[in-house]
Amino acid sequence: MEGMSYLTVAYLGMISGIAIWTWTVFARAKTLEARISAIETSLGKEEIEADSIALQSANSDNNEATG
Amino acid sequence: MGERIRISFLGLGFVGIMSTLYLGLMWAPSVAIDAFESPAAQKIFYWHVPSAWAAFIAFAVLFVGSALWFFKRSPTGWRLHVAGAEAGLATGLMTVWSGTIWGSAEWGTPWDWSDVRLNTFGLLTLLALFLVLGRRSQPDGVETRDTFSTFGLFGFVLVPFTYIATRFWVIRHPGPVVAAGRDGSLQSDMALVLLIGAISFTVFIIGHILTSMHITKLEQRVEMLQSEIDRSV
Repeated sequence: MEGMSYLTVAYLGMISGIAIWTWTVFARAKTLEARISAIETSLGKEEIEADSIALQSANSDNNEATG
Repeated sequence: MGERIRISFLGLGFVGIMSTLYLGLMWAPSVAIDAFESPAAQKIFYWHVPSAWAAFIAFAVLFVGSALWFFKRSPTGWRLHVAGAEAGLATGLMTVWSGTIWGSAEWGTPWDWSDVRLNTFGLLTLLALFLVLGRRSQPDGVETRDTFSTFGLFGFVLVPFTYIATRFWVIRHPGPVVAAGRDGSLQSDMALVLLIGAISFTVFIIGHILTSMHITKLEQRVEMLQSEIDRSV
């Protein structure tokens, strides 16, 4: 019985761990969405989807090819 | 990918994981009392094996993402790389943590430095830790991404090595119980709970990977907006 109690505590600890992880990830997404929405509203911008680093890399590849 | 889909994956996976643990604890048969030093601790296997399975999925995503970024410069590839590293770290820690609990109860020690599988899996988790912390501490750029992608590509070599470790070097870690041929001795009720666990962890980790990719996309948008503000000032 003692072993089962330890196991139950370990299970509860691990479930709490993944619940906290999931909650943290969602909270981060919500914070970022709110931040983006605030900046876009203040700039009067539509949604920007691009990845600046990928664009920078693609531009330098193009320059090398043409240059 | 919509928020509703991401929440559905995470919710379904979480409920499935809770059900697996409940079934493992209350319904699945116990092992013979003389088969293990600590028969009750064996039930941690319903967490340990599916989380290790989810870790392998995450490391496969990391590999594919690294390859897509490194060879194709794909923005989706970079998001996959980031999501795979984060999911690999979380599931790797789940596996290592549950393994040390079982090791303490069964072997009397949480870790065996001479066991091949323990150490290769530990290295994989450390690689994921390096990628997650490294990305957060370095400024984003082509060179940074190339460096981390290279680690993601070469680190994947450890995955098949870890998988076959208990087939070739049985030291302390138990041998395979699934797809183990004649050596497999898993009772059908145990196999059913394990299957539910593997499916649940798969669904859960897909939800996390999708959410993590969404977050990376949002971070990139913040960066674009930030540079636009900087240019206009």
